[in-house]
Amino acid sequence: MTRFQSPFVRICWYLSLAILAVPFVFPFLWMLSGAVKSQTEIFSPSLSLLPQTWHWENYAEVFRYQPFARQYFNSLYIAVVVTAGSLFISSLAGYALARIRFAGSGLLLLMLISALMMPEEVTIIPNFFLMKWLGLMNTHMPLILLPMFGSQGVMATFLMRQYFTALPPELEEAARMDGLSRFGIFWKVALPLSRPALAAVGIITFLFSWNLFLEPLVFLSDIELFTLPLALSNFTDAYGLPLWHLQMAATSLAVVPILIVYIAAQRQIVESFALSGVKG
Amino acid sequence: MAELTLSGVCKTFGSLQVIRDVDLQIEDGEFVVFVGPSGCGKSTLLRCISGLVDITGGTLEIGGQRMNDVPAAKRGVAMVFQSYALYPHLRVRENMGFGLKVRKLSKPEIDRRVEEAARTLKLESLLDRFPRELSGGQRQRVAIGRAIVGNPEVFLFDEPLSNLDAELRVHMRAEIAALHKRLGNTMIYVTHDQIEAMTLADKIVVLRDGQVEQVGSPRDLYYRPANAFVAQFIGSPKMNLFEASGLPADILQTARPSAAAIRAGLRPEDMQVLGAGEGPVSGRVVNNEYTGAGSLLHLDLDGLGRCLALYNGGDSPEEGAEISVGFDTGRLYWFDAQEQNTEVA
Repeated sequence: MTRFQSPFVRICWYLSLAILAVPFVFPFLWMLSGAVKSQTEIFSPSLSLLPQTWHWENYAEVFRYQPFARQYFNSLYIAVVVTAGSLFISSLAGYALARIRFAGSGLLLLMLISALMMPEEVTIIPNFFLMKWLGLMNTHMPLILLPMFGSQGVMATFLMRQYFTALPPELEEAARMDGLSRFGIFWKVALPLSRPALAAVGIITFLFSWNLFLEPLVFLSDIELFTLPLALSNFTDAYGLPLWHLQMAATSLAVVPILIVYIAAQRQIVESFALSGVKG
Repeated sequence: MAELTLSGVCKTFGSLQVIRDVDLQIEDGEFVVFVGPSGCGKSTLLRCISGLVDITGGTLEIGGQRMNDVPAAKRGVAMVFQSYALYPHLRVRENMGFGLKVRKLSKPEIDRRVEEAARTLKLESLLDRFPRELSGGQRQRVAIGRAIVGNPEVFLFDEPLSNLDAELRVHMRAEIAALHKRLGNTMIYVTHDQIEAMTLADKIVVLRDGQVEQVGSPRDLYYRPANAFVAQFIGSPKMNLFEASGLPADILQTARPSAAAIRAGLRPEDMQVLGAGEGPVSGRVVNNEYTGAGSLLHLDLDGLGRCLALYNGGDSPEEGAEISVGFDTGRLYWFDAQEQNTEVA
């Protein structure tokens, strides 16, 4: 849209965009609205977003119903550890694959790329037995190790490798002339220059870990150890039916870090999806 | 002392031999230029000297010390890259002082050296800028500054001016020449531009297919080329080569080439373009490239084929005009079947 368009055309554009946004924005508003409604009002025939009675106590109930604060903390620290670990491992591995010539590096890269093609669900049973054998059942370790060394880690390594490959080799040669070792070149030249890629990998990894559902479901049984996606599915009554008002309130709280990350790093997120070639 | 000695230096990449048995002596303080066509190995040879590429065979000595296995940073050399290779995330000051910081020099000493180099290269006002905020010429000066601060014994320049526009290239060429005069260090410079080579060098090394074709001063190479390749590579426009058998008998009688000579060379600036029937060889103008001070004529000579001639003056013959040419026999070069100059031992 150019800035020379007439006000009428512009209004039409904005109107069309606003209509198109409804299917995306409405569920979010419905979630916020449901979070302060009673269970019965949610199912009332009225589709009003504004509740008849505001039930702010739903938020307090979320924390009484199960150890939600603890679960929130679990998700947060796991996501941070996974992100930090993935950045460390993927940058080192990506640099090695991009810059160091060693026997079998091509084959290794091919194996990594083929690993990207494999759906995660396929590996869940062998991973289950592996973690059981390692004595890591009902701990957070599978939730940390599997994203770091599994398909997400491979994706992160591949992205970093692609970025390092595109860095001009002359910069590293100049650093060699300046007296840096291989690790010095990585640490002082290649890594500071790969900040956009690190940001992209960091964001993708954080979102991946934050949204992880299957692994917590398979590996965790203690409610104190649950992460948010699993905790959200746990707001049910005695018959196993969802308590929608609590789920809505808990979900509203669960999206806060994601919203913060998104608002703080909007540009990098868009770039990261462009860089990774994956859809959001 | 920073004289360099290369003895039988070879470099192979897999089965591909890029540098073949290069012997070369470079004296302390000399400005040496490596020239040659693309892919001749001139940059690889420079990188062998720098230590960025390992030598496969032979010996490299700098200042009398064998350097084959010495890491790049400990050879006492500094390199200026074609792409400048400035660290984009560091300011000019940090770029220039980076190597000194790696060598753990004290901060006051780093500052002193950076400021001194910045003064030499008129970079004082740019010290706090990032490379992206500089023009091409300024980046080039920073790259040179980064090389200077380490007080190297030998400067290596890898086609440092090829990313600059024509005007800036001439300016920077003069600055590099002035810098060499001021510092007096040994400098080795790689270029494919023979004008750069002629104007800067004390000594030119002409390379072809990884081998040294000739080493000498610019005048030596221009007036006494060892072979037809050097004769054609040095000088612009390039030297014309003719089959000796196609030349008129009176020219051969006057010039008296040796029996081995089968080809004759004559530079375009030594061709005398005359009116039709006035000279010993007749022909026509195929193309006339007007250059301002004169014209570069593409000629088709009877019995000798295509050649180039420089014509000084504004009244050059038009395209298609019938002309004749005269040969200054004293300016003819003669080459044998192996393309060697028969008059150079």
